[in-house]
Amino acid sequence: MTASTSRSEVSSRPRPDEPAAAEPPAAARPLPERPTAPGSMIEVRHASKWFRDLVAVSDVSFTIGPGVTALLGPNGAGKSTLLRMLCGLTPPSEGTVRILGSDPRRDHQLSRRIGLVPQQEALFDDLSTFEFVHLAAVLNKVHQPGAATARALETVELRADDPRPLRTFSKGMRQRVKVAQALVADPEVVVLDEPLTGLDPRQRLHLISLFERLGAEGRCVVVSSHVLDEVERFGSRILVIVQGRLAAEGDFRAIRELMDDRPHRVRIRSDDPRPLATALLMAPGVVGVRIEGDATVVETLDAALLRRAVPVMARLRGVSLREVTPLDDDLESVFRYLVEGR
Amino acid sequence: MRTVAPSAPTRLPIYRLILRTQVTRGRVLALLALDLAGLVVGIALGATDRPLLEVVDGVLVPGHLLAGARFVNLFGLSLVVPVTALVFAAASLGDLDEQGTLVYLWLRPVRRARIVVAAAAASFTVAWPVVVIPLAVTAAATRGGTELVLGTIASSTVALVAYVGIFCALGLVTKRSAVWGLLYIFIWEGFVATAADAAAKLAIRTYARSVLESITDVPLAGTFIGAPASVAVPIAVGVGALGFATWRLTRRDVA
Repeated sequence: MTASTSRSEVSSRPRPDEPAAAEPPAAARPLPERPTAPGSMIEVRHASKWFRDLVAVSDVSFTIGPGVTALLGPNGAGKSTLLRMLCGLTPPSEGTVRILGSDPRRDHQLSRRIGLVPQQEALFDDLSTFEFVHLAAVLNKVHQPGAATARALETVELRADDPRPLRTFSKGMRQRVKVAQALVADPEVVVLDEPLTGLDPRQRLHLISLFERLGAEGRCVVVSSHVLDEVERFGSRILVIVQGRLAAEGDFRAIRELMDDRPHRVRIRSDDPRPLATALLMAPGVVGVRIEGDATVVETLDAALLRRAVPVMARLRGVSLREVTPLDDDLESVFRYLVEGR
Repeated sequence: MRTVAPSAPTRLPIYRLILRTQVTRGRVLALLALDLAGLVVGIALGATDRPLLEVVDGVLVPGHLLAGARFVNLFGLSLVVPVTALVFAAASLGDLDEQGTLVYLWLRPVRRARIVVAAAAASFTVAWPVVVIPLAVTAAATRGGTELVLGTIASSTVALVAYVGIFCALGLVTKRSAVWGLLYIFIWEGFVATAADAAAKLAIRTYARSVLESITDVPLAGTFIGAPASVAVPIAVGVGALGFATWRLTRRDVA
């Protein structure tokens, strides 16, 4: 993803009570062809998708490069539609989508370079794991499809010699089969729509580390999830979709920094919170101080300044610091703010 | 990146996959039950005493041949062939679409025409023995003779080609392909197409019946189409429908 987090992007987020575009533009405007931005593997420009009167995705633009990027958004935000557009399963009603420089809707050969884990659970239930993944390998024209299939299944910790049909598999095992078929052709772009659904905690960790490894290898991995704890483990790069619009993109910690209309909360544990709290009340940018047991919770408009001021004030007041912890720099806070406006 | 096998065949795996998904015990048993009912009637017709020759539209026709041809036309060409084709062909891609598994074929570097042709070939492969062989046996049971058996095989095969193409495409057009297919079979072909010559020419049954008439020399009620057209048009319709299905598969959204 390009380092495109900016004040304007964050400040232009839609509020929950702000409706998506009521209706699509009367006519699709032609967009000039443009080469993909350097380093980007996915480029989406002014993409919109509507189904009759329903606007699923509205004027979304972003680029994504190698590494893991999490696609976040509440249910119905347009995440799956966006992912389907990335794979060419549905064309944008307006705008362009380019994967590795090509249109995924028109260039069928591009499919070999894209691995998709779709959201739906359905598989070819009469096939075994090997048959299902081997079919993907053969159709992707993979050299030595049998060996590639065995490797892909091993990657997700499934046995290649398991003769049972897929219909007998648990939800978690089916998810892993879907991941295996997506990876069997060694794709450069991997698109995963809620890939961790139904997995046990150990398998979740395993797949998360697999996705991280794929990203570290230089692949472009796009993962949608609504489980924020999981997304936080994928890495810090996010795309937030709200009501079909791109609410934010970039490093979620950087996004949090840019939310300058909302105070940052920092918890300071010390051996004597009262004198420290009194001193912090005078500090520039501080808008509120509250004492909770041995902790002082400070609300500030300038977290960086506060971080510099706290040790100085503690030393001046003779207070020993034990812990300084930002309380709302996590992904959940960012997401809640962007999606729910609180 | 992993190397690519340049000439790896892709049509055959899709064909085998669709064949496997289509052949369900319930479908085959239901259709074989229909075939069995026809065979019972065929045996009954064959066992019934009939005049050696009967006159139909000024043509002398052996009694058993006439009864057998009429039964093949009414039961086989009007019911068994289109319904069996509907069951298998509409499901070939329609079921995959509805279940959400079509994505595993669509998102591959495979030409759309290959997917459609493989689906149609799978439908034909499974439908032909379920339709044509039992109907040929039924035709033989009516004691209509070799002409009737050959006519039954030829006419039902020609009709099957057209219906498989049409219903394969229908499966990609609507999720209610069974309903629309039955409406087409019973309302259009069974009712509207019998009302006027122009409408009859838009019914596959008319061409299939004409093939049966040509081979058996038994005049059957309804519009007659000459020998080349009665074979060429259904095949052209089937191929054209597959072309439409390919276009549809290329253009449509995939879930």
